[in-house]
Amino acid sequence: MSSNIELQFQKKKLPSKVFNTGIILMVIGLLGIILSYYENPLRSAYNNIILFLFLASIGVGSLFLIGIEYLSGAVWSVPFRRIPEFLSNILIFLPIIVLPLLFNMNNIFHWLHPEILKADELLKSKAPYLNVQFFIVRVIIFLLIWIIFYLILFKNSTKQDDTKDPTLTKKNIKFSAAFMPFFAITITFTAIDWLMSLEPHWYSTIFGVYYFAGTVLAALSSSTIAIVLLNENGYLIQGLKEDHYYSLGALLFAFVNFWAYIAFSQYLLIWYANLPEETIWFLNRWEGNWKFISIGLIFVHFVVPYFGLLSQPSKMNPKRLLFMSSWILFAHYYDLYWLSIPNFSKDSFIFSWNEISFVLFAVGILITVIYKQSNKYNLIPVGDPKLKRGIDFRL
Amino acid sequence: MKEKILYGYAGIFNTADDVIKAAKKVKSNGYEKFDVHTPYPVHGMPKAMSLKPSKLGYFALIFGLTGALSALLLTYWISAYDYPLVIGGKPFFSFPAYIPVIFEVTVLSASIATVITMLFIFFKFPNNAHPLNDTDYMKKVSSDKYGIVILASDEKFEESSVEQFFKSVNASEIFPIYFDIEELNANPKILEPKFLLFLLLAGIITSGATYFTLNKLLYMVPFNWMMEQPKLNPQQKSSIFSDGFGMRMPVEGTVARNYLPYAYKNQPEEAEKYLVNPLPVNKSILELGQKKYDIYCSPCHGYYGEGDSRLRGQFPNPPSLHSEKVRTWPDGRIFHVITEGQNIMPSYSTQLTVDERWAIIHYIRALQRSLNAKETDLK
Amino acid sequence: MSAVDYTQELSVIEGKPALRELDDLISKPLETKPDKKFYIALSITLSMLALFVIGLGLTFYYGIGTWGNNTPVGWGFGIVNFVFWVGIGHAGTLISAILFLFRQKWRTGIARFAEGMTIFAVMTAAIFPLIHTGRPWLAGYLFPYPNQHSVWVNFMSPLLWDVFAVSTYFTVSLIFWYVGLIPDLATLRERTSNKIKKIIYSIFSLGWRFSNRHWQHYEMVYLILAGFATPLVLSVHTIVSFDFAVSIMPGWHTTIFPPYFVAGAVFSGFAMVQNVLIFIRKIFNYEKIITIDTLEKMNKIILVTGSMVGYAYAMEFFIAWYSGIQAEQFTFINRAFGPYAWAYWIMVSCNVLSPQLFWFKKIRRSIPVMFVIAVLVNIGMWFERFVIVVTSLSRDYLPSSWGHFTPTIVDYMILIGSFGFFFTWILLFTKALPVVSIAEVKAVVEGSQPSHHNIE
Repeated sequence: MSSNIELQFQKKKLPSKVFNTGIILMVIGLLGIILSYYENPLRSAYNNIILFLFLASIGVGSLFLIGIEYLSGAVWSVPFRRIPEFLSNILIFLPIIVLPLLFNMNNIFHWLHPEILKADELLKSKAPYLNVQFFIVRVIIFLLIWIIFYLILFKNSTKQDDTKDPTLTKKNIKFSAAFMPFFAITITFTAIDWLMSLEPHWYSTIFGVYYFAGTVLAALSSSTIAIVLLNENGYLIQGLKEDHYYSLGALLFAFVNFWAYIAFSQYLLIWYANLPEETIWFLNRWEGNWKFISIGLIFVHFVVPYFGLLSQPSKMNPKRLLFMSSWILFAHYYDLYWLSIPNFSKDSFIFSWNEISFVLFAVGILITVIYKQSNKYNLIPVGDPKLKRGIDFRL
Repeated sequence: MKEKILYGYAGIFNTADDVIKAAKKVKSNGYEKFDVHTPYPVHGMPKAMSLKPSKLGYFALIFGLTGALSALLLTYWISAYDYPLVIGGKPFFSFPAYIPVIFEVTVLSASIATVITMLFIFFKFPNNAHPLNDTDYMKKVSSDKYGIVILASDEKFEESSVEQFFKSVNASEIFPIYFDIEELNANPKILEPKFLLFLLLAGIITSGATYFTLNKLLYMVPFNWMMEQPKLNPQQKSSIFSDGFGMRMPVEGTVARNYLPYAYKNQPEEAEKYLVNPLPVNKSILELGQKKYDIYCSPCHGYYGEGDSRLRGQFPNPPSLHSEKVRTWPDGRIFHVITEGQNIMPSYSTQLTVDERWAIIHYIRALQRSLNAKETDLK
Repeated sequence: MSAVDYTQELSVIEGKPALRELDDLISKPLETKPDKKFYIALSITLSMLALFVIGLGLTFYYGIGTWGNNTPVGWGFGIVNFVFWVGIGHAGTLISAILFLFRQKWRTGIARFAEGMTIFAVMTAAIFPLIHTGRPWLAGYLFPYPNQHSVWVNFMSPLLWDVFAVSTYFTVSLIFWYVGLIPDLATLRERTSNKIKKIIYSIFSLGWRFSNRHWQHYEMVYLILAGFATPLVLSVHTIVSFDFAVSIMPGWHTTIFPPYFVAGAVFSGFAMVQNVLIFIRKIFNYEKIITIDTLEKMNKIILVTGSMVGYAYAMEFFIAWYSGIQAEQFTFINRAFGPYAWAYWIMVSCNVLSPQLFWFKKIRRSIPVMFVIAVLVNIGMWFERFVIVVTSLSRDYLPSSWGHFTPTIVDYMILIGSFGFFFTWILLFTKALPVVSIAEVKAVVEGSQPSHHNIE
């Protein structure tokens, strides 16, 4: 009976040091960001792109995970579903984060400069897509789509806590189904707009899928970090066992492999055909000491997580899961850095307090968002009809 | 009358819950040598039987890594060492291109090796001579019942107490199982003689079939059709021509491209009179002349035209090119000698183009001048 | 309103059949003589197989000139059929391996049959690389073995990667299928009273005796094989896509080909499995084991993978425009409006439009409609490979080199015949081996596993 669950679940407030950590990181990060914009606005803009895409991938990816749970009828993830729901709250803040970028567009994008456009026939032919007005319209529409779906899915889920109405599950299943095509389109074109068009002569049909792989990993890993920390400290509910952790670990492992597969496909095809208009993108990431970052990406994003999550026990061990999901989240940031910064600094990679400020801000805002949401709402979807089956789930 | 040897006592259960509860109690009652038989894997049974986790995962990992390493070595050795070829302008060892092959070999070797390990080493299969085979017990547990067998060889085994035990855990049937006579001495080894014989036969058949296919069959009709094609091979007979020759000479009067017939055949005096060296004397012409002279003329005439052949008597030494006679010959006469030959010197018209011959002649003049220099040359 | 009760788990096997009932039901085709319907079906497939043999015989005797391949279209039906059949095979491994890894119990009723289909589809597919070379008896040279000519294979070529991929795929699928068969063969061994059958089952079941000490290792190996088979099946069609994508042909050289081909393979494979299963469950009375819920789930997968294929089409289109490369842009216009436009529009309507009907629950659960949609999907996917191969080759960079491809009667004989080859194996399979996995189905019947507190 679901009332048993409610009795078993005690809503505990997260300790205030969580909030303090989040706010301090945010404030330090924000100060750093402002200073960075003052000191070097172009460098900060490229870092801002990373920040925007990082937070967007966590937010939209979380919506994707929620949608997949509804559509596939999965039960093991139901006790955890609130965590990605809280994480997707970050979407509300994205308009603020994208604003500095919209003011800096002229500096970031080559295809905006009229002198470059005049001389470049190829860029002129892309102008129907790569122009300021359409670009901004796309940004706004995508943000609207994400926020609207977030609000609908979240409202239904939290309303169910009170009313225990199973038709809300049915509604969310329908909205999840509707969300998926929008998800595919918005994720693809977000990646194309913000990352692929930084090098406007270059193109790759798999680029949207590449960003998608990173998105799912970002959402999964950040959810796993929160889930493991909350569960091990007793904030979730009794009865969640290794079997639940195993599924998280298995999904992380699967998507690490998927990312590697997509990355390798893209590389192999471009390497093999050796067409200069395509290889230039990889050559830029081999200039100077960028080659170390590129080789490093393979190890950080694939080799280490692969062997770290290969064995069955490793997927069920909370300590290992916590470490590997933190590592994977860091690897995703590394990936975005590798995609964006070589357009700013051609010969060598740069890493300094500018980059670190953005990272601190990202971590801070995520922690703060989880804290705030957990104060207002339950950490478990107590009204979900599948909750009991979820807690009883065994492999 | 032969006394039947007891293998063990069996208990049959009707539900999965019953058998798993009973299995836990078997262990807690101190029995070590027992087994549970079910028509499908029952969840939680390994834990109930206190079984250690299967180590096959480690085998799979090792076999996989071995396969990967072997494939890497194979591709490296073939492409970078044994027969390197430049393909598509890529380096000899093109690692990204080998990744698909290495991956496939990894999966293949890990899968085959792990399954073989499980079947032949862990399970010691095939084994149709086990005491439990061909029994009523097996008929039941292969279909819809669950069973536990406690072996007679267990230390704590005692017929009546085992029966008591099974009664206490709600077994629906309890009965003994005996060894069949043949099974008693059956001890499946991996290196059984029958298996080795089979391997030997398989080896003989495989190599025999391969030899036959590659060395005999492929030369038989129809596989040899592309070996014998209706085209003319060099030195082959041909029935089209009356003389039977496949290879033909060019028609009388055929002239090769860029070739002009030599106008002064057998006419050295006319060659002397009419042929004039058309090439200027400059460094590149002299270098060309030197190069060609060193290749074609020096074996007999020596590097400086003195006739000091390095053929060591295989061919008579020619007279020196610095003689009064040759020094006063016009260029045309020397050209004639190179083109037609003279005495035992053969014609070099096929080895040297017309221009090369003239260049050599300039070089010979330079050589001649070097041994007969006048004082005016020093200026 | 028939509300779904989310608190209850959907039962995988309808009703609660007794274990012995399952034994009887699944073993019945093996223990009864074939009936008239079987012989009629077999005669149809054997006639198609005869066409295959004739087509192949003509090809061997007269050479590849009997096919429609020409310059510039050097790849014709041969490779289209190869990619088509390899794709069909992917559904089986996905059902066996990937759904196992995702712990989807509904796969148990269909896994054995789907794996069998994989093996037969891969066998059919493997025939095409063997016959298209002109001297198939020299196929041994495809493998890197040391020889007196010091000749090795070309590791740079994706056609060679195909050799490794398809042979590995066939071998591992066969092993996976066989390992799954061992317990069932043992069950049959215990049931049968026929002396010859008993010997055969005894040999191939290796003496399996249902010991839980063995089940423990067995389950681990099954998990390992599933864990290997999953990346394997993704890699096989990826490598097949590399055949095209590593080139510099417009319409071929595009980075999305690997996941696009894999999604397309799963898409067509599931459609074929669904089609055949609808017949199987009717003929053998397996409706309780292969339920409408199972079919509905398969249709959802068809919808998802079909949408992925549609996404790939859209991306190719968009990037072709975005890249600004004239040859690329022309290829896509040529596909839609050139001499093969009819093939293109069949492809789009069958692949993009028809599976979208599966958004509607009524259609997902209606057997006649889902059957038709799956047939359309298979047709569409064959045409997709045709469009990719023939349109790009017939009109590439240099207009003076453009040419037209017309299939010959031998091409058609081989195409139709390949279906005969495939379905003959399936028919024989239904009579020789259990098409549903007895042990796995028993394991998911309600009440077959101990309750939770007995496990912990």
